[in-house]
Amino acid sequence: MGLEEKVPEGILTTSLDSVINWGRANSTWPLLFGLACCAMEMIATGTARHDIARYGSELFRASPRQADLMIVSGRVSNKMAPVIKRIYDQMLAPKWVIAMGICASAGGPFNNYAIIQGVDKIIPVDVYVPGCPPRPESLLYAMDLLRAKQRRETVGAWRKVEEPLAVEEIVPLGV
Amino acid sequence: MPLDVAPVIRSYETQRTLNPPGIPALAPMPTGETDDTRRIIERFGKDIVAAGLHNGNQVVFVGPAQLKALATFLRDSAELNYETLIDVTSVDRSQLPLDGGVRFQTVYQFRSYSRNQHLTVIADCGTEPGGNGELPHIDSLTGVYRGAEWPEREVYDLMGIRFDGHPDLRRILMPKNWPNHPLQKQAPLGGEEVPFTFTWDDPEFETLGSQILPAESAAPDLPPGMSRQNMVINMGPHHPSTHGVLRLVVEMDGERIVSIDPDLGFLHSGFEKTGENKRYKDFVYYTDRMDYLSAMSNNLGYCLTIEHMLGLEIPERAQVIRVIMAEMQRIASHLFWLATHVLDVSGTGMSLLMYATRERERILDLFEMACGARLTVSYIRIGGVWQDLPDAFIAELKDFLRVMPEKINEYDALITEAPLWQERLTGIGFISAEDALAMGLTGPMLRGSGIDWDLRRDRPYSGYESYEFEVPTSDSGDCYGRFNIRMEEMRQSVRILEQAVGNLPSGLYKSNNRKVALPPRAELDVSMEALIHHFKLMTEGFHVSPGFFYHGIENSKGELGFFVYSDGSAKPYRLHVHGPSFNNLYAIDHISRGEMLSDVVTNIGSIDIVLGEVDR
Repeated sequence: MGLEEKVPEGILTTSLDSVINWGRANSTWPLLFGLACCAMEMIATGTARHDIARYGSELFRASPRQADLMIVSGRVSNKMAPVIKRIYDQMLAPKWVIAMGICASAGGPFNNYAIIQGVDKIIPVDVYVPGCPPRPESLLYAMDLLRAKQRRETVGAWRKVEEPLAVEEIVPLGV
Repeated sequence: MPLDVAPVIRSYETQRTLNPPGIPALAPMPTGETDDTRRIIERFGKDIVAAGLHNGNQVVFVGPAQLKALATFLRDSAELNYETLIDVTSVDRSQLPLDGGVRFQTVYQFRSYSRNQHLTVIADCGTEPGGNGELPHIDSLTGVYRGAEWPEREVYDLMGIRFDGHPDLRRILMPKNWPNHPLQKQAPLGGEEVPFTFTWDDPEFETLGSQILPAESAAPDLPPGMSRQNMVINMGPHHPSTHGVLRLVVEMDGERIVSIDPDLGFLHSGFEKTGENKRYKDFVYYTDRMDYLSAMSNNLGYCLTIEHMLGLEIPERAQVIRVIMAEMQRIASHLFWLATHVLDVSGTGMSLLMYATRERERILDLFEMACGARLTVSYIRIGGVWQDLPDAFIAELKDFLRVMPEKINEYDALITEAPLWQERLTGIGFISAEDALAMGLTGPMLRGSGIDWDLRRDRPYSGYESYEFEVPTSDSGDCYGRFNIRMEEMRQSVRILEQAVGNLPSGLYKSNNRKVALPPRAELDVSMEALIHHFKLMTEGFHVSPGFFYHGIENSKGELGFFVYSDGSAKPYRLHVHGPSFNNLYAIDHISRGEMLSDVVTNIGSIDIVLGEVDR
């Protein structure tokens, strides 16, 4: 019954959304970028015992152009906030953000002049991970939640939100 | 709209604390005399305001006019021979009963390695009219001790004290357009009110989770002294090899480095200001998050400082448990250094990262057995440790100690003799003993230049005098020498651990002094007295008598020091952290000049920085 009966053996039919989401959810490359204590647990997640490669996310990319996922691993200071915003803007859509730990989620113990009270004040966040720092298992669970979210997305959704980037004025050093 | 970062005053900050009468109080003047203070008084006479001993440290109070002469005398006098300026900090005394005294004081910690002496110098700052009010200023010591440059910039940035004659007085931690000097007492702690509401219709939830601030960055300046004739390139703060959020502005002539200007403060978290708004016992949890690779050592350094000010005796068992934890932390920290250093230098050396973190995970498992946390442990508390070791701990630790020496030999076999590794490290990042002393470097950076100094052996704390271990040094002064030192330090830590495990006494794991350490939980059910003590400690905390104290311990990166000024209340009036990474990182410009850009990465790994501690 249906189209499958008509096509030769070995060919499956599915929706475009599911096949693209299948690819995205299984090869989400994080940005190689650590801020504070949580970065140590992020590295621990990448090493042998916790092995983030099971999620297809072992390829931490140093360039934001090649990364799909930003793991904000630690407290965001007022001096760092513009940098994080710029790195996020440099990432190509589709892109996701995990706020790892309470500092990135809401400021945590650092309710003071230096720290932004949650990275969601400057960039949109998909998954918040509680903990100070979260255990590697927590980060893996956050990856699970993110994959569930990625599987629900539609291809068109990212096209709609993606506005043309304003041409940034590049200020040369020391001028 | 630019990012609105102006600090706000929260309503509960303006409430007065219920201090007993007579508090806040000034620290008392030092009493007695030592050989050093007598020599200083003989030389300077009436210019010395006071000199003597305070809390066991030698302290000299000096007027602003004679500070530079005193520092020169301390360095050059053959009898005194204070080779190093360890730390510079400052105190804003505006909330103390001054009785006509000056508001700002700068505090210097001098160290003589050859004579094993420590000296604290406190200088009043002069004032000059300007801006809104009077601007404090004092002579810079950069001409006497080169290493004063960064600590003085930090004091200028956070406290607003100008240093006359400083070559490069810019902000170092805060953004350059920051409106105030945050450590001054009238500057608010900042932050946000915690919204105690459950109504989702509140306007503050409207933008929750969405992008609301554009976060515009200020255009970077060309650092002073750099020339546009050369190529100026930017490295970081988002760079895989800078060990966190460090930004280096590198001036290059072809392939060779002309100079480096590190830009710090991307992880500045206001630890010192936060500490001044917390009770003494509550700051232990913050120390974990400074040098997050050696949380136990940070706990230990802070607790030892406060315990010394309280005059608290620590039970024998707690001392040994502390040594066990501190040495395990040293191994864990060095393992992580090894993993990242190899990863940075070789680019693809993932295998050693996997091996070294495998052993590190075992140490973290042991921490988890003892206190339930892997990284941010808060296990060492004021008065002892949080709770006794679980029964299975010692057996597990013994098993770890059985395999660890083999594993260190394995790493050795992998890289120590490897020709490529030697090629990349030998002769790179050279620093002479004189320069290392002048810059105030500590830890492996100092021992790598041939200075035989380890606080554990030379100024022992926590019972380190009863352990046998060697302090590895190297005369080569390069990255390879420091690499060998850290590898040997891991073996020595294993040796200390074996002795500690063999001699773990039974008894109390924390002080029986109920005014400082919490009573055990079981006692609360049967004793009203214990309940009262618990309540008092949890609501008010304990008071520390007025005074100040600097104490340094040897952590994996160098000398971790805490300077605490108490006004007699339950919170520190001034809390300063001397992070070893901060001073050691100062050497990056000196040791990288004339080398290739790829050697900068080697040098960063060899200095072994943790940005949480550099920026604090």
